[in-house]
Amino acid sequence: MHIAEGFLPPLHAAAWTAVALPFVVVSAWRVNRLMRDQPRIKLLLAASGAFAFVISALKLPSATGSCSHATGTGLGAILFGPSVMALLGTIVLLFQTLLLAHGGVTTLSANVVSMAIVGPWVAYGLLRGARWLNIPLAASVFLAAMLGDLATYTVTAGQLALAFPDPASGFMGSFVKFLGVFAPTQLPLAVIEGLLTVVIVNFLREYSGDELKILQFPLRALATEARS
Amino acid sequence: MKARNGGLLMLAAVLVVGSVLIGSRREGAEFAGSDGQAMAAVAAIQPDYQPWFKLLWEPPPEIASGLFALQAALGAGVLGYYLGFKRGQARERRNRTDAGD
Repeated sequence: MHIAEGFLPPLHAAAWTAVALPFVVVSAWRVNRLMRDQPRIKLLLAASGAFAFVISALKLPSATGSCSHATGTGLGAILFGPSVMALLGTIVLLFQTLLLAHGGVTTLSANVVSMAIVGPWVAYGLLRGARWLNIPLAASVFLAAMLGDLATYTVTAGQLALAFPDPASGFMGSFVKFLGVFAPTQLPLAVIEGLLTVVIVNFLREYSGDELKILQFPLRALATEARS
Repeated sequence: MKARNGGLLMLAAVLVVGSVLIGSRREGAEFAGSDGQAMAAVAAIQPDYQPWFKLLWEPPPEIASGLFALQAALGAGVLGYYLGFKRGQARERRNRTDAGD
């Protein structure tokens, strides 16, 4: 989902910056407040950022004979809420842009929108929805992380299609084309991201009860909510 | 929890290994990055598009592999520190309650 440097026209780059900036500013404010009010969750916050750092660095092979990487932003989103991930994801993307030539300065905001904003919000929304439907926690976490990952790549396909509509079939033609590049490769990787996120959440439920209590995770299912 | 997590990690590993095995059977499979393929698709749709901004800095290939390793090491290091710290903390807590009995 890293759109390479210079691959979005200046107008698009500016528009995505306008979209991303408020999210990142709010996120910085939220992270700051979270660390001040709840110093005990600092380490878990760092660990969630680290998870995104590793996972988005690993190029994994896919059954299609191509390679891609997961995003790792679903975990932090379901633990801390999606707004916190905008800052963490931006830091990860900035490192990759400046030191690894992965992504670009002019495409940073578009990449932030897909990986650090839409992916986390989709993951968080799905977790809430799945809990509301009384789907077991592990399955909810799996779905949230997996579909958050796929949402990120869908947004990237949309961003590229907006910038480069097909001369004949327009935005939709282009969108389908870009989705065709990403989706088959990404599907198994999204499953892997879902599995790894469940592994971490399982661990947290066993050993990090104190932090999860502060964060009020897991979001209660409807049945227990009605009882309390 | 332990057995279940072991199973999930095994499943993830099987998916990766299976992907390599299935993927390499495909004709012309070079495991190219999908990000790169998407940029190639841009060139196919608009052949005259020229990226208007160049990378500020691109690490030489050897250094790039080191930086990739550094990124993974930093991330795994922090994550591993947290997981180990929490396990140790839980054990300590258990020992203390045992001693209190």
